[in-house]
Amino acid sequence: MRRNDHSINRAACYRSKIACLVFFAILWVAFYHAPAFAHKVTIFAWVDGDTIHTQSKFSGGKRVKGGPVAVLDSEGNELLEGKTDENGMFSFKIPQRTELKVVLKASMGHLAEWKIPAEEITGSGSESNTPETVEKASDKTSTGTGSESIKTDVEVLKPTIAGPGRKEIEEIIDASLDKKLAPIYDMLANTFDRGPGLTEIMGGIGYIIGLVGVALYFSNRRRKE
Amino acid sequence: MHISEGVLSPAVLIGGAAIAAAGVAAGLKDIDQKEIPSMGILSAAFFVASLIHVPVGPVSVHLILNGLVGLILGWKAFPAILVGTALHALLFQFGGITTLGVNTLNMALPAVICYYLFGWGLKSGSGRSVFIFAAFASGCCAVLISSIMVGFSLYLTGEAFLPAAKLVVAAHLPVMFIEGSLTAACTLFLRKVRPELLEGVYAPK
Repeated sequence: MRRNDHSINRAACYRSKIACLVFFAILWVAFYHAPAFAHKVTIFAWVDGDTIHTQSKFSGGKRVKGGPVAVLDSEGNELLEGKTDENGMFSFKIPQRTELKVVLKASMGHLAEWKIPAEEITGSGSESNTPETVEKASDKTSTGTGSESIKTDVEVLKPTIAGPGRKEIEEIIDASLDKKLAPIYDMLANTFDRGPGLTEIMGGIGYIIGLVGVALYFSNRRRKE
Repeated sequence: MHISEGVLSPAVLIGGAAIAAAGVAAGLKDIDQKEIPSMGILSAAFFVASLIHVPVGPVSVHLILNGLVGLILGWKAFPAILVGTALHALLFQFGGITTLGVNTLNMALPAVICYYLFGWGLKSGSGRSVFIFAAFASGCCAVLISSIMVGFSLYLTGEAFLPAAKLVVAAHLPVMFIEGSLTAACTLFLRKVRPELLEGVYAPK
């Protein structure tokens, strides 16, 4: 009698387990089309010539695929919009040379933003240079040792032209700098979000132990009174 | 599960914070000294659980363990989870200070609901299979209800409810399964080793 009971119980247990599995399988199939997400997203942006590259990641280090990215100006007006590719990258031409803000709006209430200061953008552009800075810069080159190398360059090219314009030199330097710095930007983007380390975890647990201690202290005092 | 800052409208944030505060007050009311250490332990478990990522296919989500917290603590899950989410926001930048209320509510209310729905199965007189079923269901349902509540919070701010909720639920399906199993394993272990921990909440008052 007792054994019979047991086997019935067991059969019921198995049946409920199978039912559970089927339930999950159905749910899984019904809902399964979601992109990746975790509990935190980050976006990182850098300037390269006249384009801005952005990289979006989840806290686990996974790239955000197909996440909508909006580009805003300093007043919060939307300038353009796009989606991240398979590697979480989204690149666009600089729409205007002011401070820009890129906002990543991943699903499930996740949001991240990155500000690109105006200096970073104007530094790479040629037409935005004010006459003042050009003058200052030309003063430097005429007094510094840099003028010599420019002169020799000019002689080789053509003596009639006063030399490659400031603009061109700046552009060439900017382009090569961007090229040289690209791996560093990449590294920065990769190290930007490491996620919580041991320090944070142990710190949090320490806080909780401390709170328990405080709570016990007060409840003990109340009891004594 | 943690909603970032700047996503929800102020009305939703304030409403969520108000309800969460009420829940915390209910949890702190006539608290027993004996329950404080177990609250601390479960708060720590909740705090650490969110670091365990579950990568399944393209999905990478984390454990929540609010079903377990709810089953053992009942209404006291509110303060325990508040502490956990506050530390998440401060130390990990999961969620934020302004969304603290909503995030606490989204994770603690399902815990309390599961306590009422499945708590009967954990009473000392219940059989083993009933016990396992109740614990598993509690772990699952807490995550399911949490997902739906996150979807609902987004809906109140203007996102379409069905796609948002569907997405959150879909992402947490593997978590639901893992949490159900974990909750069952944990409570079974507690029943064997420290039955008084469970009996504290379920003792007739």
